[in-house]
Amino acid sequence: MRFCIDLHNHSCLSPCGSDVMLPSILAMEASDKGIDILALTDHNCARNLGPFAEACEIIGITGVFGIEVNTVEEIHVLALFETLSQALEFGKWVESILPKIKNSPRLFGKQYVCDVAGNYIEEVDIFLYGQANVSFDNLIELIIGQGGLAIPAHIDRPSNSVTANLGFLPRLPYSAVESIIVPPIVETYDYTVIQGSDAHYMEHIGRRRCYIEAQTGNFAGLKEAFLKNDISFMN
Amino acid sequence: MISIEQLFSHLGYKKFSEGDLQKTITTGYTSDLLSDVMGNADEGSVLITIQAHKNTIAVASLVGMPAIILCNGRTPTEDMIGAAKEEGIAILATSESQFTASYKVAKLLALV
Repeated sequence: MRFCIDLHNHSCLSPCGSDVMLPSILAMEASDKGIDILALTDHNCARNLGPFAEACEIIGITGVFGIEVNTVEEIHVLALFETLSQALEFGKWVESILPKIKNSPRLFGKQYVCDVAGNYIEEVDIFLYGQANVSFDNLIELIIGQGGLAIPAHIDRPSNSVTANLGFLPRLPYSAVESIIVPPIVETYDYTVIQGSDAHYMEHIGRRRCYIEAQTGNFAGLKEAFLKNDISFMN
Repeated sequence: MISIEQLFSHLGYKKFSEGDLQKTITTGYTSDLLSDVMGNADEGSVLITIQAHKNTIAVASLVGMPAIILCNGRTPTEDMIGAAKEEGIAILATSESQFTASYKVAKLLALV
């Protein structure tokens, strides 16, 4: 069966994410756009995944629990997990290795944790866009070792991408690589290529969703489709 | 110590944002990792980098850097220029490398 996926999205927790990007709104809008499997991937933090899980459950779409980690090389990597508890655990670890820099909401934006109803319940003090003290190679290994999906983000972007920051794509066991433009304008060898919306604002939701061919519309289905490299794109 | 105006006139690089002409430059910091800039650069430095995007302005503003020199022919994005104007940060751009720009700034500041 064919399922629509979008595995790169931010909420009001990411400093650069719109304050009205509530996890529940993301899930609702994504569902309206026909997305079957949706991930929330805030920068270096898992604290909005709880309400996101609740919202996905209520709406009836498959939630994937992610974090967009910023490595020591300032490369963005999507770490995606099947269960909320795995992702929360991983998120705690990522926060523990962030530089202890206080966020400046004026310069970078606010970092809101909210509940499923959309009430802000906490503002995160530590700057979430900082670089986690883990190397790109080690991070990929760690995510895969924990049964997650490791996906270098926007590999064709001139900043914060593996291609821009290292100059090449090291041969590592990625689950897939995410490209803004398909077919990619950078070398991707035989890795599975996906697109993701990298939504920071409401109007971004679903802008780069793509499709997998799999037996089930869940995490196992994602793994299956990535292994088979069975992906298709919007146009 | 030099003024922003001296920085413009002596280097002859292309100007994308005027910055705050009252401010002075005391030293420089050369880096392409913004987290490194955030952690180690001194207030009053000119930032020499290839990171030609909006986040660079936020980091420069946080640290208190009055000017940024973009190297290797990189040009600032529109939103970077907008943010620089709002924050009063000067942007200069050159086809020269970070090495050459750093040397010129250091010479101008009589640090070499």
